[in-house]
Amino acid sequence: MHIPDGFLSPQTYLPAYAAAGLAWAWAARGLRRTLDEETVPRLAAMTALAYGLGLVMVPIPGGSSGHALGVAMLALLFGVRLAFLAYSLVLALQSLLFGAGGITALAVNALAMGLAGSAAAVLAFRGLRRLNETAAVAAAAWLSVVLPGLLVALALGVQPLIAHKEDGTPLFFPFGLSITLPAVLVPHFFIGAGEAVLTVLVWRFAKARKWCAA
Amino acid sequence: MVRGVKATHWLLAYFAAVVAVTFIHAPWLLVALLVVALAMSGRGRWKIARRAVLAGLTFNLAVSLGYAAVAQWQGSFSARYLMLVNLRVLLLLFLGFWFVARVNLLEACRFSPTLGFVVTLAAGQIGAFARLLRDFRLAFASRNAAAPALQDRARHAAAQAVQLLDKSVCMAAETALAMRSRGCFDDYADLPAMTPANQPAPVWRPRHGAVRTSYRKP
Repeated sequence: MHIPDGFLSPQTYLPAYAAAGLAWAWAARGLRRTLDEETVPRLAAMTALAYGLGLVMVPIPGGSSGHALGVAMLALLFGVRLAFLAYSLVLALQSLLFGAGGITALAVNALAMGLAGSAAAVLAFRGLRRLNETAAVAAAAWLSVVLPGLLVALALGVQPLIAHKEDGTPLFFPFGLSITLPAVLVPHFFIGAGEAVLTVLVWRFAKARKWCAA
Repeated sequence: MVRGVKATHWLLAYFAAVVAVTFIHAPWLLVALLVVALAMSGRGRWKIARRAVLAGLTFNLAVSLGYAAVAQWQGSFSARYLMLVNLRVLLLLFLGFWFVARVNLLEACRFSPTLGFVVTLAAGQIGAFARLLRDFRLAFASRNAAAPALQDRARHAAAQAVQLLDKSVCMAAETALAMRSRGCFDDYADLPAMTPANQPAPVWRPRHGAVRTSYRKP
């Protein structure tokens, strides 16, 4: 669901960078202390997996892309702060090395997918794990895709309202909320189901090796 | 890279250029900047340009065609908008690929030890993942003279996924041990800070019982 470069106005991405800067500072606080030789290999492996998953993407009509995130498994295994940092790094590397996403859209993408996605996953998991752990993991993964999808659709859909010429011609993203919301959200309902299956499999793998932190 | 210009400065220049480009809404100016960037990017310019075009092609095509259809239907079609958005995306992608081709990303992140540490770790793992995937693909191809059945492919993919994660963790563990041996992890982070208030002068004594040290009280 990366927003590509060049479709977000400075009125959107500059405040987003300010917010993301604060969030990155919060997430990085005490990072070196929390990482040890047990956490680092797992985090690095999962980050690389999320990076690989994010590169298999298809464009969807709303001007975004559809792909699995892997942010739920990062959040469930390492917590929101590490997941946010790791996913931000994934997004930065994807944009610089492959042009997937982009530097101007990095902050919005990171806040939507990295922060909101991982926070939604952890909250859903904690709320539902008493009922059934597998269902809680699946629900967390589904939510970690759909909520960022909603935020990305909102960020794209408001562009014609906040960045246009006097005659109403858009300057950045051309479609309004009436198009972006269904176009981004509907495919992500199904992508979320695929992400749920994948996350349950990785969760079981991690649990068998006693990695789980959430 | 131009001698004397640090990678971090290139990173800042790249960020400034990206922000500046998004404030430009005149297609002719974007064309002029693209020509300047092409002229300055040296021998690899066409390779970078090709990468930029291919990277943005699918998304720009989807948005452009969608816009053309919707705007024609609503009677508000603007060819100038299509030029503007496509040129802007192309220029931003070109700048990004040019920056990566010119500058060592790890060196550019050195201004922050934490960022450098995390980027080194992730870049190393991504490289390891890419190598492993290629090895698996070649091994699978070499062991199947005819095209394998769907079931065989699924079994192979499942086995590959588990092996990939395990091997990746082992490789990252080796990296982590190498990092420990070079002092990357702070083993004394949980100890109380040595402020003058809790530092008995003039001889330093460890206050934490669990700390093993070669220090001997004189």
